[in-house]
Amino acid sequence: MSAPSLVRIEHVSKRFGSGPLVLDNIGLTVERGEFVSLIGPSGCGKSTLLRLIAGLTEPTSGQLVIDGMTPEDARELMFFVFQDANLMPWRKVAENVELPLLLRGDATARRTERVKRMLEVVGLGDAAGKFPWQLSGGMRMRVSIARALSVAPEILLLDEPFGALDEMTRDKLNEDLLALRQTDPFTGFFVTHSVAEAVFLSTRIVVLAANPGRVSTVIDVPFPYPRPPELRETPEFLQLLAATARALRAVRGGH
Amino acid sequence: MKSTRLMAWLQPAITGLALIGLWYAVKAGFKIPTFVLPSPGEIAQAAWDERGPLLSAAMVTVRGALLGFFAAVSVGFLLAMALGFSPRIKASFYPYILILQMMPVTILAPVFVLWLGQGLPSIVAITFMIGFFPVVANTTMGFVSVDRNLRELFLMCKATRAQEVRYLRIPGAMPYFLTGMKIAGTLAPIGAIVGDFLAGSAENGVGGIGFMTIAYFSQLKTPALFATGLVACVMGFLFVGGVNWLHWRLLHSWHDSMVKKE
Repeated sequence: MSAPSLVRIEHVSKRFGSGPLVLDNIGLTVERGEFVSLIGPSGCGKSTLLRLIAGLTEPTSGQLVIDGMTPEDARELMFFVFQDANLMPWRKVAENVELPLLLRGDATARRTERVKRMLEVVGLGDAAGKFPWQLSGGMRMRVSIARALSVAPEILLLDEPFGALDEMTRDKLNEDLLALRQTDPFTGFFVTHSVAEAVFLSTRIVVLAANPGRVSTVIDVPFPYPRPPELRETPEFLQLLAATARALRAVRGGH
Repeated sequence: MKSTRLMAWLQPAITGLALIGLWYAVKAGFKIPTFVLPSPGEIAQAAWDERGPLLSAAMVTVRGALLGFFAAVSVGFLLAMALGFSPRIKASFYPYILILQMMPVTILAPVFVLWLGQGLPSIVAITFMIGFFPVVANTTMGFVSVDRNLRELFLMCKATRAQEVRYLRIPGAMPYFLTGMKIAGTLAPIGAIVGDFLAGSAENGVGGIGFMTIAYFSQLKTPALFATGLVACVMGFLFVGGVNWLHWRLLHSWHDSMVKKE
């Protein structure tokens, strides 16, 4: 058998209790090393889809297979970056990054070394001893990403991580995220509202329609990595941006 | 900056002097005898004259208050942890904790005396009864209102139940626990004095403040009676000061209520 796909989402539907259908018959196969953005109007279930992959909620029907396992069994391969930085306010920056390693049972020396490296990678070496409240929103998000990458996950699930940040900070963090992927490769799932962000980061963009949430279009992003910031100003980039915006407008049409 | 700090001291000082003046004026104007209303000076004099017995009594009361307070805080914390552990345990037991809380101490006091006898054990039990509910109620609230996203983070990390309690629930409940502890600290000296009043004894020759109150009252030593009130106030401030310090110590580095935003 040749290397199977890393993530297979097969005929997945989801409703909460007896409520309306949130996701309807979603099918998606993702290979190792891809970076897939999920984009769509609010209520299209993109965050729910992410949570299904993480095993934080169960599908009503259909199945998800992650590296041959159920999402719950595959949790060790995954990490989740939440909408807000989701740091523990009583732990210092370094202690927050250390938490997943601590819970996993890594030895102290290994933890210290890994935390140091991760903080350097996200450019927060000096902030190790600070508390989260002493950081800006962008810095908090960096800590959150450092924490997620500290366990070197195979799959990183990001739920609108940069939604609350200003555009400049967001662009910078997008570039940094790609740089991180060059050194510590992971397969990414990225929920966003921003077309520009999706095009800049992804290998594929999945446009979802709402009520019920379903896959409307899948757009391939052909640009090779590493992607320099200047990519954003090229005609090819802008063309794809426009095409994605159009696809998004089409699913919004009814509203 | 400096003048506002000065004003912060000056304003209550002026009010205090005015009140003392008014006190003297009322006493003199209506010719109120000392055994009904002693003057502030007479109270201060009585406090000084009775300093020996008052100090010993205060020590007895402080001991009762401290023991009751620690019992309330530790039992309260453990109980809250059990209640926060599962909604089922909480549903089963919480109503009965409420019932216990509704029971007035004046009714519980004679029961404690029957069970534990006159003196320290009963006083501690009464102080405990007054202080433990605020600890339980607040801490339970802290244990159950853990941030949902942080719980999911722990889920993603495959944290064990014990890890979740240690690294998430206990630190998360700390601000609530300390709030409960603050209330218990305010109530502890009052509880000990009430306990002493209802179940105190002077078996070893020394009663607590509550016991002294009864003694001075029966001898119509009104200035000394007022002086016990003064001692009780000082004790209350010491307790609250101590608990506030602990609160600051544990939370000032990270909690919203303490963090200064510049």
